[in-house]
Amino acid sequence: MNMNEKKNLPSDKAAREKPKRFLRRAMQNQAFSMFLILILMWIVLAFLSPYFFTVSNIFEITLQTAVIAIIAAGETFIMLEGGIDLSVGSIFACSAVLGGLVFQATQNLFLTIAVTLVAGLVFGLANGLLITGLKVPPFIATLGMMGIARGFALIFSRGIPIFGLPATYMWIGQGKLFNVIPIPTLIMLLVFILAYLVLTYTRFGRFVYAIGSNNEAARLSGIKVSQITIGVYAICGLLCGIASTIEAGRLGTVQPAGGNGYELLSIGAVVIGGTSTFGGEGSIIATLIGAVIVTTIRNGLNIIGVNAFWQQVVNGMIIIGAVAIDQIRRRK
Amino acid sequence: MAELLVMKDISKSFYGVSALKRVNFDLEKGEVHVLLGENGAGKSTLIKILSGAYRPDSGFIEFEGKSIDVYRLNPRAAEDLGIATIYQNFHLIPHLTVAENLMLPQFVRKGGMLINWKEVNLTAKRILDELEFDIALDAKVKDLSVSKKQMLEIAIALSKNAKILIMDEPTAALSQKEIELLFSIVGYIKERGIGIIFISHKIEEIKRIGDRVTVLRDGSSIATVNPKEVSADELISIMIGKTMSTRRTRLSVGVGKPVLSVRGLQNENFPEPISLEVREHEILGIAGVVGSGKTELARALFGIDPTDTAEISFNGKQTSIKSPRSAVTLGIGYLPEDRDVDGLCLNMSVKENMTLANLAQLRSISYNRVQETQSVQTMVNEIAVKTPSLGQQVKYLSGGNKQKVILGKWLLADCRLLLLDEPTIGIDVGARNEIYGLIRKFVMKPGCAVVFISSDIDEILEVSARILVMSQRTVVAELDPEKSSKNEILQYSLGVKRKQHEYE
Repeated sequence: MNMNEKKNLPSDKAAREKPKRFLRRAMQNQAFSMFLILILMWIVLAFLSPYFFTVSNIFEITLQTAVIAIIAAGETFIMLEGGIDLSVGSIFACSAVLGGLVFQATQNLFLTIAVTLVAGLVFGLANGLLITGLKVPPFIATLGMMGIARGFALIFSRGIPIFGLPATYMWIGQGKLFNVIPIPTLIMLLVFILAYLVLTYTRFGRFVYAIGSNNEAARLSGIKVSQITIGVYAICGLLCGIASTIEAGRLGTVQPAGGNGYELLSIGAVVIGGTSTFGGEGSIIATLIGAVIVTTIRNGLNIIGVNAFWQQVVNGMIIIGAVAIDQIRRRK
Repeated sequence: MAELLVMKDISKSFYGVSALKRVNFDLEKGEVHVLLGENGAGKSTLIKILSGAYRPDSGFIEFEGKSIDVYRLNPRAAEDLGIATIYQNFHLIPHLTVAENLMLPQFVRKGGMLINWKEVNLTAKRILDELEFDIALDAKVKDLSVSKKQMLEIAIALSKNAKILIMDEPTAALSQKEIELLFSIVGYIKERGIGIIFISHKIEEIKRIGDRVTVLRDGSSIATVNPKEVSADELISIMIGKTMSTRRTRLSVGVGKPVLSVRGLQNENFPEPISLEVREHEILGIAGVVGSGKTELARALFGIDPTDTAEISFNGKQTSIKSPRSAVTLGIGYLPEDRDVDGLCLNMSVKENMTLANLAQLRSISYNRVQETQSVQTMVNEIAVKTPSLGQQVKYLSGGNKQKVILGKWLLADCRLLLLDEPTIGIDVGARNEIYGLIRKFVMKPGCAVVFISSDIDEILEVSARILVMSQRTVVAELDPEKSSKNEILQYSLGVKRKQHEYE
């Protein structure tokens, strides 16, 4: 009798729970539940301020999202692999400053952009080498790099913002394709499509997940763990360079103090998107939604007139909240 | 003599599998009572019940003549009664000093905010002096030798007024001199009227120190004897049982040319050089008790632990194995002892896990996803992995199916040599036979061989074509399973019998 009851249990359960399954799976999918929350936020903000749903504000949100989202895309690679990068804001600033100085010296736009991107890439590579070569834990290596890159940004620029970027440069940050789609939004979409393809269709992408899921099992399967690790930090550095090119174009200046707190926002975007803080689980699409949520909150708080200092408090609370909710859900 | 402890009719089962069947055990004051049995005989389950870690399904425990509510026993209550366990892996805090560790229980009990360091050091010194233990009070525990750590644990237990001391393989990591020291300590503890439950695999040691031996086999207490009155052979045959039927299904193919041969393998785990050879179509069994160096050998062969000097040839070609990657590239697959920790990406899918080693060998940026799904599907059907879908996360599979996923991973990577470390541990009988079948099928393929590591001697005898027995980090015997017996293997692995390893 007992045995029979036990045997019947699973199928009975499945039959009973079938109608609920869609809802439950939707709830378990953090990207989907975050998308619902985002829509809810938009509705609330639209009621709170008539300004929120204006064309210019919507563009403002997509523009602001672009910079954070591109950094967050890099951070997603790293967090999927099981690491973390605290130096993104500083790499962002330092690579822009280096690019800006090259522009002042040469007036060559192409060279400026190239130097910005390469600088980001090199900082990322340095992070990866510190972690794999010297076995410094990611948290400490990138915390150190956060100080180093910020320091160099201030040293090279002598703490003075760089002005006088030409209109062609500004086009990257302010231009619109067909007069409709902002260029930063376009670049952001390109980055995410590429990141999605890399994570889904390449061996590299599969290995990033595998290492984050179980570093030792990945190594014992013959995966070159160090190479992949250096790769994800390099990608993140490069994306910081791209993001800082956009920001410089948008503002028309290079700020050595720029990107301050971007590590908080980009890590926030990643964890709100549901990527596990232990690695191995998450998706790049969810990060995009996370980034839109982060900027919507920032934008919304601005519109309602909450002062900037409070915004930082809110950002910090959102990160902790997102991870706490994720932990509670995982325990079930 | 006064009965200190009586355990009667203790039964315990896990998920319907019974681990202990009406076991009886008792302990007198000032007695060393040895628990003897194979791995899985139920020794540690019995100990865990006594120390309050497990709750028995039924049974009675009497302690100092008073009956104890076994269903309410928990680790703290057991400790308060005076039951202390000296574990193999020490429960000491490495970065604190000897004195601090010694006094920690008092800190916890007394509460309060401030610590009177003068008093702490004085009391700690008094405890150690009384025991005549030669341990420096201000030494950090992490800097102590294994032997000293053990002494410290004993001192802590005694300072808490322990009445029963449980020692789980206390001599496993000790040198001969340290063992002598431990035995004299045991003698002293006995004089104080403390009862000792002593778990050991070493027969000679048991005969020396034990007052009584209770043998456990398959969860039952088989016999309680005086070790001084029975021979080592008798003890072993009580331990494994007389009726032994090893059902063997031999391979029809004879062994071929060597697949892997290793000469003079040495590293920090193997002070004496080790040589071995595995041939085509051969399942080489490696037997030995826990800590004999079996796992370390597999790790060295797979390039996980660095080796100093070793002449290695694979398929007749001189080579070296410097990393797991180079082992995989050669065509070696490794099934680790702990599949969840070292073998699987638990939150990834069946498909993703099974192609990991294969993808690691490719050189292209991308890979053919349709082909990936097809080949995994074929493999899943072939080795009968029970999974609702290829996208199922591996963590939801049963132990046997998890093991099949790892096997499938190496089969898909087209490897030639499988290093299997305890491949059937924690797996039920049905799945176990399926895994044996898969291993036999694999080894029949041209150019393929298997190294099969297990602490289960029956299994080793059933599966292997040739057996190496390891003991104390070296190979002590090479045996033919047709001519050998469980008894002989056990004698070699317990160090009762020892002969030179004859190799070519």
